[in-house]
Amino acid sequence: MSSKQKDDEMICALTANESSALRRGLRELPETMPPRVVWNRIREQGEAEGLLQQTRASSRRMWFAGVGLAAAVLLAVMMPALMPPQPEGITVPQNLPSNTTTLTTLQTLMVQSRQLESDLRSLPDEPRVMRASTVATISDLEDRVAAIDYQLNDPDVKMTPADRELFWRERVRLMNSLLQLRYAQARRAAF
Amino acid sequence: MSKFADIQIDASIVKRAARGDARAHEIIYRAFATPVYSICLRFTKVPAHAEDLVQETFIEVMRSIARFRGEAALGSWIRRIAVSKALMFLRSAWTKRSQSLADDWHDVTEGAVQSHGVSAHPDDAMDLDAALANLPDVARAVVWLHDVEGFTHKEIAGLMGKTESFSKSQLSRAYMRLRPMLEVREDNTQPKGAAVRSC
Repeated sequence: MSSKQKDDEMICALTANESSALRRGLRELPETMPPRVVWNRIREQGEAEGLLQQTRASSRRMWFAGVGLAAAVLLAVMMPALMPPQPEGITVPQNLPSNTTTLTTLQTLMVQSRQLESDLRSLPDEPRVMRASTVATISDLEDRVAAIDYQLNDPDVKMTPADRELFWRERVRLMNSLLQLRYAQARRAAF
Repeated sequence: MSKFADIQIDASIVKRAARGDARAHEIIYRAFATPVYSICLRFTKVPAHAEDLVQETFIEVMRSIARFRGEAALGSWIRRIAVSKALMFLRSAWTKRSQSLADDWHDVTEGAVQSHGVSAHPDDAMDLDAALANLPDVARAVVWLHDVEGFTHKEIAGLMGKTESFSKSQLSRAYMRLRPMLEVREDNTQPKGAAVRSC
């Protein structure tokens, strides 16, 4: 007696018809495609672990990112020399109001947060190849920022001024970590 | 066997993949992503977990494909990796909950399947899907491996680190839960006399 027959004999809960209907039904259940982003994650991890040869496209992207970052640094260094001298008595407008002493702590935190966001946006796009740990850390930081934003923007959440300040302080801290991480990442990708 | 068996990959693609060729790996992924994701989703029920398992499966494929000798079909090999990853995931979840594999029947209420499942149409995919989803994790895995993927109880026992009796018992209990789904349709072409128990 084959093991398959023995298996069948052990299953007493279904009639032959039921068993056949069940198998047919299960095999006819629709399959599901994974989201497109899954392959990107696999490829990035594969490349980061050295399991995949880097494709020409990703090498090209890294080269362009490197050139872009180098050009930005060069421009930043040369900018003061290229700019005409400022006439005395006129100051360049800043994001931060000049009279910061009159701002409350909360307003200062909000301005800092906005400045950090602007700095983050000015960095080159994230490289396609990233270490899994870096991806996880960035993702964690972004999730935490998003959670704070959700709390701050939810009209149903009642906050004291102290709570609000605490949330904004944490947001600035997280944004700062995110910026440093992304900056380090951009430098690694460039060189 | 399941849809894995229907997918054929050229040997030259496998050779290129063994050398780390990204394009070859992408071809393999595109060919097998849907059955791998489907099986992972069937086991875990949570899309995010299934996506992680797909990632783990194909990373394992990248790591091990150089050792793949082609004695079995590539689909069978990938399917075994996916099943192994999915079962490992289920085992880790049980470990976290400090529950034994057999105990999770208690998590399912007796009426759960019946409430979803009573149907005069055994091919009603949505009802069957819901009934299957209501089974405990391990029983659902056993049903799927046995009835869809064609694994024997010995193989299932080996994959789960359990005995054959355990696999048979899980399947039998799962069948009892699924029975209300399987009332044969009035218009079924098979004669009623065929409805004989298989034991």
